[in-house]
Formats: sequence, C-alpha cells, structure tokens
Amino acid sequence: MKKLSKPNQPNQKWAGKKTGKFSLGMFSLVICFLYMPLIILVVYSFNESRMMNWGGFSLRWYEELFFSSGSLWQSFGNSAMIAVTSATVSTLIGTLGAIGLYWYNFRFRKAIQLTAFLPMLIPEIIIGVSLLIFFAGLKFQLSLFTIFLAHTTFNIPFVLLVVMARLEEFDFTIIEAAYDLGAREFQALLKVILPTAFPGIMSGFLIAVTLSLEDFVITFFVSGPGSSTLPLHIYSMIRFGVSPVINALSVIVIAGTVVLAVLSRNVVKLVFQQNR
Amino acid sequence: MWTLAPKCLRFTAGMRGKKRVKGSLVTVKNVEKNFGDFHVLKNISLEIKKGEFFSLLGPSGCGKTTLLRIIAGFEDPTSGAVFLDDRNVIPIPANKRPVNTVFQTYALFPHLTIFENVAFPLRLRKVTNNIVKDKVQEFLELVKLPKEGKKLPSQLSGGQKQRVAIARALINEPSVLLLDEPLSALDAKLRQHMLIELDAIHDKIGITFIYVTHDQQEALSVSDRVAVMNEGEVVQIGTPFEIYESPQTPFIAHFIGETNFIKGKVTEILNEKRAMVEFPDLGSSLTVYQDKSLIKGDNVKLTIRPEKIRISTEKPEGLDEKWNVLQGKVDELIYSGFQTKFFIEIGPKRTMFRVFKQHVKFFTDEKAINWKDNVYIWWHNNDGYIVEVEAL
Amino acid sequence: MKKNYGPFYVAPVTVWLACFFVIPISIIVYYSFLTKGINGGVIHKLSLDAFRALYNPTIFQITINTFQVAILATVIMVSFAIPASYFMARSRFKNFFLLLVIIPFWTNFLIRIYAWMAILGNNGIFNNILLSTGIINNHIQFLYNTNAVILVTIYTYLPFAILPLYSTIEKFDFSLLEAARDLGATKWKAMASILLPNIRGGITTAVLFTFIPAFGSYAIPQIIGGTNSYMLGNVIARELTVTRNWPLASSISMVLTVFTTLGVLLFMRFNRSATESARGQKQKTVAAGAKA
Repeated sequence: MKKLSKPNQPNQKWAGKKTGKFSLGMFSLVICFLYMPLIILVVYSFNESRMMNWGGFSLRWYEELFFSSGSLWQSFGNSAMIAVTSATVSTLIGTLGAIGLYWYNFRFRKAIQLTAFLPMLIPEIIIGVSLLIFFAGLKFQLSLFTIFLAHTTFNIPFVLLVVMARLEEFDFTIIEAAYDLGAREFQALLKVILPTAFPGIMSGFLIAVTLSLEDFVITFFVSGPGSSTLPLHIYSMIRFGVSPVINALSVIVIAGTVVLAVLSRNVVKLVFQQNR
Repeated sequence: MWTLAPKCLRFTAGMRGKKRVKGSLVTVKNVEKNFGDFHVLKNISLEIKKGEFFSLLGPSGCGKTTLLRIIAGFEDPTSGAVFLDDRNVIPIPANKRPVNTVFQTYALFPHLTIFENVAFPLRLRKVTNNIVKDKVQEFLELVKLPKEGKKLPSQLSGGQKQRVAIARALINEPSVLLLDEPLSALDAKLRQHMLIELDAIHDKIGITFIYVTHDQQEALSVSDRVAVMNEGEVVQIGTPFEIYESPQTPFIAHFIGETNFIKGKVTEILNEKRAMVEFPDLGSSLTVYQDKSLIKGDNVKLTIRPEKIRISTEKPEGLDEKWNVLQGKVDELIYSGFQTKFFIEIGPKRTMFRVFKQHVKFFTDEKAINWKDNVYIWWHNNDGYIVEVEAL
Repeated sequence: MKKNYGPFYVAPVTVWLACFFVIPISIIVYYSFLTKGINGGVIHKLSLDAFRALYNPTIFQITINTFQVAILATVIMVSFAIPASYFMARSRFKNFFLLLVIIPFWTNFLIRIYAWMAILGNNGIFNNILLSTGIINNHIQFLYNTNAVILVTIYTYLPFAILPLYSTIEKFDFSLLEAARDLGATKWKAMASILLPNIRGGITTAVLFTFIPAFGSYAIPQIIGGTNSYMLGNVIARELTVTRNWPLASSISMVLTVFTTLGVLLFMRFNRSATESARGQKQKTVAAGAKA
C-alpha cells in the first residue's frame, strides 16, 4: 500500500535493466564452471612435461596423437562407422515411426508410442545390461555389429522425438490435400511427407550421430574383444596409463564439437529457411 | 457492408442464362456419422444440382465440415451414401474421386514452388512437361497469379495462397469443388474481395461448388442455395432470400443476421392472414401476419429483423392498422458509420428491442436520437414473422 | 475412404524395439527369478535368491548412497540452472549463450570426466598449486569419494538442466513480472509467485533429465569414485562381469528401474499439470540441441 503513494519510483528502478545481479552472477558461475576444466585441458595439451606441472610449450603430444596412436584412430574409425550406420538405420525406422504415430490412429498406438519413448527414460546401464544378457542368451558374438544394434536401439527414440516435433509444425491437411489431388500412399510419402519433414529428419540424423559417437556406458557392455570405439579407447586411456596424449585428443574433440555445433546450426538453419 | 447482392436477385436479372452448367449432381442420402456415442450427422439427405453454388452454413460443431469430408472421401459415413450423378462414391478412395478440396489452411506443400504446387496433380499422372506448363499457366491466370509461379508458398500473402489452393484444386478438372471455410483465415476486406472472385471463377468454370462456412454473410452473398445446419441436422434448405426472409425456426432467425424475438399468445384470429397476439412482455397486443394456421390460444414466438423497424422521436402519422407501433426508451446506441444500432427498452418488463437505422441521409440532417430519449418504433406487420408455435 | 497406413509405418519401430528393448528387459525380469549358475549365467530354475540377496546391508547402503548423490546433484543443478537460464533467456545474446552451454554438453563425456581428474587428481593441478605455494606439504586426495562423484555428476549433467529451463523461460511473458511489480510485489516475491509457477513444466523436465542419468550413473562413480562411493550401477556391472551372478545383477537392475520409474511417476503426479508440457518440452529441448 505504501507503494501507491510514490507510484513512479518502483517503475524507474526496475524498468531499465531486465535481469538482476543475482542471475548474472549465477550464469557467470555456471559458465566458468563449465569451461574451466576444458580450458585447462587445452592449455596443458601444449605442456612439454608429462605431469600436470608446466614444463614449457610443446606440440609433442599432438605429434604422438597423430603419428603413433594407431589403435586410437582405429577405434575412431569404428566409432565413425557405427555412428553413420546406426544413425542411418535409426533415422529410417524412426522417421517412418514418427509419421505413423503422429498422423495416424490405430490400435495400440498409445502403447507403442509410450514404449518407443521408454528407452530415453530408463537408465543407460539397464539398456546395456539387458542387451548384454540378451546377446549372451542368443549366443551372439559381441562385436561391432552388436554395438551397431545397441546404438540403433537407443537412437530410435530420439529420432522419433525430433521428427515428431517437426511434424507438429505441419498440418495433416497437406497430406489430405495430396490424396485429394490424386496421390497414392507411396506418392504422398515420397513427394509430400518426406520433403516437408526433411529438416526434422536431418536433425534426427545429426543427433543420432552425436549420441552414437558419444556413448560409453551401453557400448561398454555390448562390445567384444577387438571392437573398441573411441569412447572405450578414451576410457582405457583414463583408467590404465594416463598419457598427456589424451589432452591433445581432448582439444581435437572439443574443437570438433565446436565446429560441428556451429556448422550443424547453420546447416539446419539453411534447410529450415528454405522450407519455410 | 456486403456489396454482393444475393444471387437469387441476380438470377432474376438473367445472369444465370449465361452460365455454363457443368459438374455433377451430388446426392447425399441418409448419411449418418457417429464418433463413438456422439452423433455428428443425423440422417442427412441433400440434393445439390449440377453447377450449383451450394453452401453448408452452420455454427462450429454442427457437422458441416464432417459432411464435406465425407463427400471428399476423407471420412466414411457410419451409414448412408453419397452419389455423384448416379454413382455411389463411398467405396472410392479420396485420391480417385472426381472431387477436389480447397482447405481452410490452404494446405500448400511448403517445399514446392507455386508452379509445382499447382502442377502436383498433373505430375502424379505423369503428364508431359509441355502440357503441364501450359495448363498450370492457364490456371494461375484464372486465379490472377500468372507471375508468381517461381515463388514458395511462404513468400505469398494469405489471399494469394488461397488463390493457389483454388488453382491446384481445379487443375484436375473435378466435377465438384469442395471449399472448407476457405476465407476464414483472411481479414474482412480481403474476404469480401475473394468472395467476389470465387463467384467469378464459379461463373467461368461452371462446376458444382459446395461451400462450407459459419459466416452467414458469405453464404448469403454467393450461394444459389444454402443448407443451414445445426447439431448434425439440416434445418432449412433454400435460396439466401428464403433463408433470410422466412426462417423456419428461431435458431435460423437467430443465426442468420440479427433479430428480435418476443413471446406471445394468440387472442383472436382476424382473418386468414392476420391474427391478434398479446405480448405480456411488451404490455400490449399487436396484429401479426400469419401463414401458419394459428389457433386462438397458441403460444407463439414472433421475430422481427432490426433493420425492418423504423425509429423516431416523433410519433409517426397516418399509419394504417397494418403497422405496429411501440413506444420505448433508448438504452444504448452504437454508431458504426453507415448505420446506428439502437437498443430500445420497451414495456413493463423492459424488453430490449434492437433497431438498426441506416444513414441514408447525412447524419446531421435528421433529428438526432440520443441516449435516454423516448422514441417510437414501428414496423409493417408483414415484416414480422412467426417462427415457433406451441399449441395450447 | 483410404486405408489406414499407420500400422505399416509403425511396424519397423515396433519390431525393432520389441526385439532389442522389450524382450531384453523382459529377460532381465525373468532372470531375476532364476538361480545363478555355478560358473556364471543362470540355471532355469525359479528362485527368489536374487531378491533375498538384496536384503543385505551393503546393497542397502549403496542404494542410500545412490539416492543421496542423485538427489543432491539434482537439487544443486536445478537451483543453479533456474537463475542462469533466466539470465540467458532475457539476454540480447541468448543465441550465443545457448551455444556456449551446448558446446560442453556435446563434448565427449569421458573427456569431461578426465578434465576433473587432471584438476583434482593427486598429481593434478590443484594439488600442484597447493604444494608449490607451500599451503600443504602432502597432496590431498580430492578424488575417489562421494563429493567428487557429486561434483562431476553436476558438471556432466548441468546442461541437461539448463536447456529445458531455458526453452521454457524463453517463452515466458516477462511483462507478467512487471505487472506483479506494478501491483506491489517485491522482486523476489514476483519471481517466486509468478515466474516459478509458470515454468513448472520446465523445472519438471530439468529434474527428470538430471535425476534419471544421475541415479543410474555408472561411469562417473567407476572412474571418479572410490569403494565408499559405489552406486547401484557399479554393483550391477560388478555382479554381471566380475562375480557373474546374473540373477542378482538382474534383480538390482529391476530395483534401479523401479526406483527410477517410481521417482518419475511420483514427481509427475506431484506436478501433474506440468507433465503435459514435459513431453513437448523434451521434444523442443532435443530439437534445440539439434538446431544449435
């Protein structure tokens, strides 16, 4: 009530700046917290010394990374291969599923949709353990192929989600319009549904690639001898014999992430703009 | 407000004779549609003539869009049939029916150019490129967009998108064009303009148009005939003139335009055409036109359109017994340029009467009627209409 | 009317997930009721041994520890994430800030864990600095305890809390806050009574996104934790690969799943009106991750 007697004062106080010192402080803390470790890795990747004390500038760990880390690059090759194949398959399956779940109604639709999103809600380790037991029961040799199966499984829900989010922006009527104008089901899928959902499909694919490159826990359980991926390789580097090569590798990975993040942002933007 | 005269008036002016009559005769026979326990359509039967501009008019949820979707083939009726000429089309899927739809949301394919949107049906049929080119150009010209072919739908305005949707729906040369609230996303000015253009396209192409709308002015201004729907039923079919001037139920009188209702009781039958009705809410008795055979003691509902009522602060002179005169007080007035809406309080129960006065003369040339003024209102009893009779 | 092609579209997903998700999970459930084999694996004889084995002070202690880590980490993450995302959402540079949060989110998770080892390890930077400045004489063991696990859990999943909160707050109509201030509310009162209730959906999503992975954590306690900071995930892995008691691994997996599901359900129930938006939120967050 007191405020009423001086109506303009509070206004002036908070009209000018939108956010307070508190939220600025918290945000700065968060950013420092997120970046401090990464920056330290970058700095120490140029350290001559093997230990974490500064021994002068050097590129020796990069040299070692690029010229004498054959098994690391082999793991990377495996990771890349699995990422591309599992992302392709999960994008295919997830896209069809999203179209079916979003635009059609049929028996068990709700149940299927719920089940399809469950793998995202269940802790990774459960998926890893269950697949390990499943493959063991089937006497499946654990290999790159089992890793591919596992990755496709956990990628599908994410593709489904992203493509459905894209479909949400469109009217079902464009499909009805296609039928109305004489299109058969397959023609409607090819000429109308897939092109309009394309940006979503593309995002789904990119997310699947990222998740697959990133995954450690599930891969850990379903990988067999000789089927290492980059995260598995990093894990063994961390656990058994830390070498500053890992610092150099981290810098490459961080740089790769930044480039990918900026690039995919622009690519997706471009596609989005074209199709709007 | 709406510059288009009802078509029935132009019909009498001989415009119809020039029109090519093509398209199909559409017969809807005993169509019912249930969604679970909900009866969306209750035994609908309609006959839409060849080349007719036919409107389905009703409030949202009355089932008009469902009926349209059944004709288009997007939904199956629970029972009943739809015939195009003499063929039952219910077993024919949407993509094979000679019927095309203009959607409320336009439903243009966002990834295709305007040209390719219109060409879509031809591409599906693998028509050769030269023919496609000529034909698409022809239809883009029909909708007055000859130069926009290379643009994407996102680069067009609402009205332009609507035209593309029309061109695309017509390029297959359907025998019936269905329009699902095609103008509802446009602003008022543009809507009126597009309506005129739609009418022109209909005159040119001459196929059957079935137009779904909740806007009575749209329906009245372009249709040859209108079916008014409410709660899954067709309540009246007629020319716009019939619908407006002789509504058969209070719902229609209320839904089409604005109107006044008063409840009364027949006290005396004067002759074949006139009856004396007592209106307790007004505290007086009036002579009422009747074409329904009223009986003394019937409870009736009288409707009078607000624009049929005259208003003045001075008592009208020299009126014969065919005029009903009431006295009241201005409770509210809304000036809206071409007309003023008056709300007049009448009688012991302070019943509200709406009266619309058109400003045919310059506003200040007449004696101004102000808030709280005592006024006289009067109307010819031919303009009043009994819409509901409840026998004693 | 046309045929319903829905089942045809959904068939591949259904078959795939039935094979590689539903059946494997069902096998876990089934195995938890079997007897363990002598040399690992299972004997197909029904038994409740695996569940009896759960009545065990060690497992009980580990369950408590798991809850403690997950709840503490979640609470800290969300309470930092709300003001931070509020700042981001109101900033002119919000797209840039979003990118700033997403880059660590996309950087390999093991590398992020390793970064903390480089900082807090016995030969890490922290110890080096403290030793060289003479503040301490012997290195301090920062790693291999529960606090280290909580810290790294927070570090790993903080972006998961920020992204959904950011996308909710961004859609919030900030003039509501001004209206509240105009009507006499203090700044904090306006935040608590207007902002927080309106971003409940985002808070729910943030809690779920952080609690679920933190609760099912395996790699972080495995790498950063010591024997005292074991979590349920580690026990499952140990029973599966070292002790080879598959029924026990299965029954603990079930416990983990049941607790997660219960937690999710309870929280959603508690916050019912918000759950509707949570799903959409999740989609948007994932989509934002893709777009960024």
